Amino acid sequence: MNANIYRHEFRIRLKSVIIWSLALTFLIAFYFAMFPVFADQAALMNELLAKYPPELRAAFGMDNMDLSTVLGFYSFIFMFVQLCLAIQAGNYGFGLVSIEESELTADFLLSKPVSRAQVLTSKLLAALTSLTLTNLVVWVSSFVAIALFRGEHEYEPGTLILLLLSIVIFQLFFLSVGLVISLLVKRVRSVTPYALGLGFGSYVLSAFSGVFGAVALELITPFKHLDAASIVKHAAYDTPLVLLNVAVTLVALAVSYWLYIRRDIPAVS
Amino acid sequence: MSIIEVTNLTKFYGKSRGIVDVSFSEEEGEIFGFIGPNGAGKSTTIRLLLSLIHPTSGSAKVFGKDVVTHGPEIRRDIGYLPSEVFYYEGMKVIELLKYSASFYGKDCTERLHELSEYMELELNRRISDLSYGNKKKVGIVQGLLHSPKLLFLDEPTSGLDPLMQRKFFDLIRKENARGVTVFFSSHILGEVQRLCNRVGIIREGKIVEISDIRTLQQNNYKKVNVTADGLNPATFDLPGVNNLQTEDGTLHFFFKGDINAVLQKISTIQVADVTIEEPTLEEIFMHYYE
Amino acid sequence: MNIFLRELKANLKSLLIWSAIIILLIFMAGAKYSAFAGDPEMLKMLDSMPKALLDALSMSAFNLTTISGFYGVMFIYFALMAAIAAAMWGSDSISKEERDKTVEFSLVLPVTRSRVVTAKGLAALVNCVVFVLITWVVSLVAVQSYNPDQVFYNFLALEMQAMFVIELIFLAIGLLLGCAMKQYKRSGSTAVAIILTAYFLSIVSVMNEKLDFLKYFTPFKFFDAAALLQSGKLDATYLLLSAAIIIVCVAAAYWSYNKRDLYI
Repeated sequence: MNANIYRHEFRIRLKSVIIWSLALTFLIAFYFAMFPVFADQAALMNELLAKYPPELRAAFGMDNMDLSTVLGFYSFIFMFVQLCLAIQAGNYGFGLVSIEESELTADFLLSKPVSRAQVLTSKLLAALTSLTLTNLVVWVSSFVAIALFRGEHEYEPGTLILLLLSIVIFQLFFLSVGLVISLLVKRVRSVTPYALGLGFGSYVLSAFSGVFGAVALELITPFKHLDAASIVKHAAYDTPLVLLNVAVTLVALAVSYWLYIRRDIPAVS
Repeated sequence: MSIIEVTNLTKFYGKSRGIVDVSFSEEEGEIFGFIGPNGAGKSTTIRLLLSLIHPTSGSAKVFGKDVVTHGPEIRRDIGYLPSEVFYYEGMKVIELLKYSASFYGKDCTERLHELSEYMELELNRRISDLSYGNKKKVGIVQGLLHSPKLLFLDEPTSGLDPLMQRKFFDLIRKENARGVTVFFSSHILGEVQRLCNRVGIIREGKIVEISDIRTLQQNNYKKVNVTADGLNPATFDLPGVNNLQTEDGTLHFFFKGDINAVLQKISTIQVADVTIEEPTLEEIFMHYYE
Repeated sequence: MNIFLRELKANLKSLLIWSAIIILLIFMAGAKYSAFAGDPEMLKMLDSMPKALLDALSMSAFNLTTISGFYGVMFIYFALMAAIAAAMWGSDSISKEERDKTVEFSLVLPVTRSRVVTAKGLAALVNCVVFVLITWVVSLVAVQSYNPDQVFYNFLALEMQAMFVIELIFLAIGLLLGCAMKQYKRSGSTAVAIILTAYFLSIVSVMNEKLDFLKYFTPFKFFDAAALLQSGKLDATYLLLSAAIIIVCVAAAYWSYNKRDLYI
């Protein structure tokens, strides 16, 4: 870990962190403000739904979601928060070393007396710090939004904390998968399309399986590994899936180090 | 002690050639010129020595340490000026230089200001607003500010005006006088001739010649010009004579061998003017590419 | 013409990747539909759900047990993918020249800047057309085993037209961003912001009646799949609105690119 690189990396991302954090605050507040209207309708629905066999409810992803409760509604919003976080983390992951190469500053950095492993560690930690700042903002705005709009409805803070704790696992997944993909393809010219493809791609996959219910899909998309509705319902993580997620993250990180240390830095032009 | 020691170094980019079986060494305090046309493998060699890329086979040592395994240690005492400089565009010049200095764990402030003053570099401008030549100056200051023991210069003069080039050469000579070893890659032979003690010539990825710049000039060709009335080019049809040309009553040719043979021939005719000169590096160089 | 061909070639890889993603989605959806096809229990349950919830899941007004209803639910995801791809093609084709420092080369060629934008825009347009056609054809293949009726064919055609219009809107926006943004890096992130905002607005606009007006601000709601299925045609008001957005964006793109200083 090299403090100079860390500081430099952190600084260049600060503006982006602020923008993402503001956007997320706005998103959470705006959506949650609609909770009071929703809660009444949803209570009615729950009664009706209860009459149907569980397999059918599962087919619609309805078995987990209960929009009449604070956390049920929050978990609905949380999906969109996750989408934003995925794109942000993917962005940082894809750009972590590739921007340096496409803007040709890699020569500068890597002719300094630091090892590649140190460079990557410093960059990763800086990105993680940036993501954690956003994470904290999500924590604060979630608690504030709930306090403001929950009205008479009660909720279990422990479960909310559990849900919010999943963010860091989620962010690390997209950060490290983005990084490893950027190192596997020959040259990343533009970061945004990759990050959007990865973020939206896995979101849509999970939305598919949310609406129509399937098992196989849960294995590939992190939106299912850390499915908000299921965490809220069970007040616990789906341990095997979370372990799978963490394993993928760790493998991606290990492969990234291995690739980066052996990487030939492309020359100018 | 050899500062740089390269043994059978080979680099392929997939199937395309970088360099093949390159071996040479550079002693402490030398200025070693590395000459070759574009695409010969000059930058590849430097990038290998900096471990920006990894060798396909062979090995290279800098300060007696292997470049692949001891990269960070080695780079502590290396300065590098790439052929094209690109820096973080949002930064100001001073910020970049300070960022660069921060890697070396010593106070470089004084030297930073000294160097930028010498190179007439404005510290408060944004990198993105700088011209190519000015970016190059940033590169020079950046490469020198931590007082490295070994300097890699990859075609350093491109983009600098002649005045700046001279200042730059003086700077390099001064550094060299303090004991800094310099590895100077270029395709401009004149500047290599002005600066270097020894040269290596690289062509299509292979070293074709390594020698002292003096011996290169001495042991090679002499350039002979003879001016006389009624010259007959056939007079000089000797073994060792090359490129015989007549132009406005003057005969030019290159000669390699015992110079007395030429002098004897000259003494047989009534000449108006005779010059025998060392060929320039360009002229020697052309020979390797014939 | 040469710029146009050069662009087509440069865009090909990206087109292939996006096509692969959409093909994967279509086949997955096709496989999932098998769980629904003609199940009356399912229909009964859907009928009993309150509208707000179905809206929130964009499942209202669809009979999921028919292939048309099912495709109606899918539409938002196709549209989303198409919009992202189109916005990226639009903004990237302009801004990549500055990023790759090739802008000096391409703009000193004896062509006007307008010609450059035209060629690049057309190349991106070809990508969009191909993308829609691929979605269309693959959809037809994927649902063959369910013996779709004429209603479905008509509905699919309508959906694809709507998807194309959405692509055009985002292509125009992307083009404008690429042309107008002084710093090429910003064009990508602004495109992300616009897509995310539009998507979130499209969800919010159906959650509460008071927020209904928001649908004018998000192209994803211009052609609501439910409305398409019922009316059988693209809404004229929204077509006009789309045309207006496209024309304004493209005009602004030309204007700003001709006027702006280019950086390397």
